[in-house]
Amino acid sequence: MPQNEVIQGLDLDEYKYGFVDEEQHVFRTQPGLSEEVVRQISAQKDEPEWMLEFRLKALKIYESKPMPEWGGDLSTLEETLDEIYFYVRPQDQMERSWDDVPENIKNTFEKLGIPEAEQKVLAGVGAQYESEMVYHSLKKEWEDKGVIFDSIEDGLKNHPELFRKYFGTIIPSADNKFSAMNSAVWSGGSFVYIPKGVELETPLQAYFRVNQERMGQFERTLIIADEGSRAHYIEGCTAPTYSTESFHSGVIEIVVNKGAHFRYTTIQNWSTNMYNLVTQRALVHERATMEWLDGNLGSKLTMKYPSCYLVGEGAHGNILSIAYSGDGQHQDTGGKVVHAAPHTTSSIVSKSISKGTGRSSYRGLCKVYDGAVGAKSNVECDALLINETSRTDTYPYIEIEEKRSNIGHEATVSKVGDEQLFYLMSRGMSEEEAMALIVRGFIEPIAKLLPLEYAVELNRLIELEMEGSVG
Amino acid sequence: MAESTEIEGVTEVFNRTAVEARSANEPEWLAARRAHAWTVYEGLPMPTTRLEEWRYTDLRRALDLEALHLGSVDPLPDDPSSYPALLRATMDEDHEAAGHLVIIDGAVVHTDIREDLASRGVVLMPLREAIHAHSDLVEQYLATEAVPPEESKFAALNAALWSDGIFLYVPRGVRLKNPIRVTRWVGEAGAAFFSRTLIVAESTSQVSYVDEVVSDDFDTQTFASSAVEVIAKDGAQVQYVALQRLGRGAFYQSEQRTLAGRDATLDTLNVSLGASVSRVDLNARLLGPGSNSDMLGLYFGADDQHFDHNTSQDHVAPHSHSDLLYKGALDDASRAAFRGIIRVHKGAQQTDAYQTNRNLLLSEDARADSLPNLEIEADDVKCSHGSTVGQLDDEQLFYLMSRGLPREKAERLVVLGFLGEVLSRLPLGGVVEKVTRAIEEKLRA
Repeated sequence: MPQNEVIQGLDLDEYKYGFVDEEQHVFRTQPGLSEEVVRQISAQKDEPEWMLEFRLKALKIYESKPMPEWGGDLSTLEETLDEIYFYVRPQDQMERSWDDVPENIKNTFEKLGIPEAEQKVLAGVGAQYESEMVYHSLKKEWEDKGVIFDSIEDGLKNHPELFRKYFGTIIPSADNKFSAMNSAVWSGGSFVYIPKGVELETPLQAYFRVNQERMGQFERTLIIADEGSRAHYIEGCTAPTYSTESFHSGVIEIVVNKGAHFRYTTIQNWSTNMYNLVTQRALVHERATMEWLDGNLGSKLTMKYPSCYLVGEGAHGNILSIAYSGDGQHQDTGGKVVHAAPHTTSSIVSKSISKGTGRSSYRGLCKVYDGAVGAKSNVECDALLINETSRTDTYPYIEIEEKRSNIGHEATVSKVGDEQLFYLMSRGMSEEEAMALIVRGFIEPIAKLLPLEYAVELNRLIELEMEGSVG
Repeated sequence: MAESTEIEGVTEVFNRTAVEARSANEPEWLAARRAHAWTVYEGLPMPTTRLEEWRYTDLRRALDLEALHLGSVDPLPDDPSSYPALLRATMDEDHEAAGHLVIIDGAVVHTDIREDLASRGVVLMPLREAIHAHSDLVEQYLATEAVPPEESKFAALNAALWSDGIFLYVPRGVRLKNPIRVTRWVGEAGAAFFSRTLIVAESTSQVSYVDEVVSDDFDTQTFASSAVEVIAKDGAQVQYVALQRLGRGAFYQSEQRTLAGRDATLDTLNVSLGASVSRVDLNARLLGPGSNSDMLGLYFGADDQHFDHNTSQDHVAPHSHSDLLYKGALDDASRAAFRGIIRVHKGAQQTDAYQTNRNLLLSEDARADSLPNLEIEADDVKCSHGSTVGQLDDEQLFYLMSRGLPREKAERLVVLGFLGEVLSRLPLGGVVEKVTRAIEEKLRA
């Protein structure tokens, strides 16, 4: 089968951002996780007492919880964790302007395309290099509107009351083992506040980057979209390839107040030796809308299920998830919607592609509590399999306690059709072009919702996958 | 014995002594098999809601093994006039049959099979007799390939303690026009009954089998455990139907596995209407290329009934096909859980597998949980699943009411239509009418 050869030859897994900078750090903890490490992190950050207590309490919870036995294979993770540096600070000072950013960090950003993004008058670029924000700019007009877009550390320092009111309330430390870990050692991430009625047309962006062997990154983001506001936050991740396994465990908490509209976009492209275990949750109030756009392309194993807790009447949650699993990768992703108020609505659309020995699993929850009258939810999952060694799974949980609700779930699994390929090739396309076109068409419903730069990047990535595929 | 009571599920009644008592007068291989099953049972933990398969049924609350005693196993005289009224009524409703078998409590009391079929080698007999009369077949298939004790805690318990059951054997090429009908009665409250069904259909044979279990209500928990093994050899066609209409107070647990050979068709229908807690584990294994399995299920809950269906479709061979449809309506404070999984094993190319679960909530207090899962390890397959939970369709109700039907009657019709879709896919003589009537009775209550 020539077609099979073509597919086998597709090699998009060669990591495109797999360059390595020389490490330059001012301070880092001992490898492994202990009370001492937690105390050091807190002291380094000059935190108030309550935060140290919060961290120590979370550490106890982390230690008491067993490793999850579901989802992906975490059997080698425990050893890995003993060797991870839980905190690394690359610089002493926060950088204010681009000129002050050290040259080697700039180089890294350049390869990632951040300066171009800046040139295109993208919104505020908060770039995370290793564990802290090193570069942070916020458009003047936003400052005037009262928007806060800070590093999480500055959020704690400069807005203590607002911070403490919400921090750790949407995702309690005890939610799961990794939210407990993050709560103990969090470092870096964003603090965002959108005031009442403020609408932002250009998205808020943060680039995250891990650049030190065996270093875990525990980003923590807290976002509050106040009543009637409207905004879009974009987080993109790339990381260089390293030989030993690395680890990322973020916690993202979002509050969407009455009537607000908030979208959170992640395009995750961690290198393929990375464990990526993230907890993302939004509390959605009356008539508010939360949208998660979640792209998972990289990492060795990702376990991530963005969730919407619809707690106000008429709240709406939308989750769009796209996963690509190449050789040796496992994307265990999906979404959760919890309907806890009347007339709440939600939709989950998941698309996955498994290639080579890749495995994509959809795992999701749709829960309707008694009293959530008129709740409606629809879940659709499509999986595309490229090779006979590829694998896909679907694990939806549907739990309905309310009679007056309508809930549906559908999933289909298919392979790239010979007829589709044959048709396109009969129109003069090469096999790899045809394959790329089919795959692009498959993810198009999600790609079209991305801002232009991201859609372009996603398409470029798929083309890259198809490159050199004709033998 | 102080030590053994610390093992989960070992009680004053359920213990090795009871297993050994069952083995008296049995062939050695069977005694050894029971002893082994008991060892497996002791080694397995009692399932908890931490297990995916038991997420929605909490056995600590649903089943009290300590309070149960072992039910009687001595057969009553074969005298239909002494049967309980409900059992007689159930049998009277049955259409023509190729053979009958009646089990009261723990023992078979009656068996008949049409003579022309018997002369062609069809065997229908109590399992307790078959272990002697057809020891080679029974030894080969009983609790080996299909439901071995290693399968689960309940499978092990049943394999160790079963008292009687059904053995049905259809020789190569023999095709039965009418179904085999089995009727079971459970009368002894507070008892635990363990029965087994073993069906072997040789290549190109054909058979339909309808198994119905009924009882009055119980004032103390009564436990009916059943293990069902259905083996369809190459090109055989088998229909297996289980109707569960036990009274309240019953805890029903049925462990079913079907094995389909090359080009075999093995269809199943599980109708769950009775019992307080009803748990069905059904695993369909498509072992031969071209094998096919339609899996149908229907449940209707009222009061505080709890139904739990746990199904799996294992596509081991290429070119196999399975299609599952489970539909349920839930009234009052009843609750249903459906967990189904399609597994397409490596190399099972050209698999077509479908799975649909639909639930209708008729009351504010009803609850439905649905977990339709897929695990696909081959690429050239067609698989899909769907799951819905909803209320009665207003438009359908409105239409019927606009034609002059009172609301209650309109609702009944919509529910019947909803559930009827399942029955229409396996229109076995008598079954459709019987189930429809039972649902109607329940709707009127």
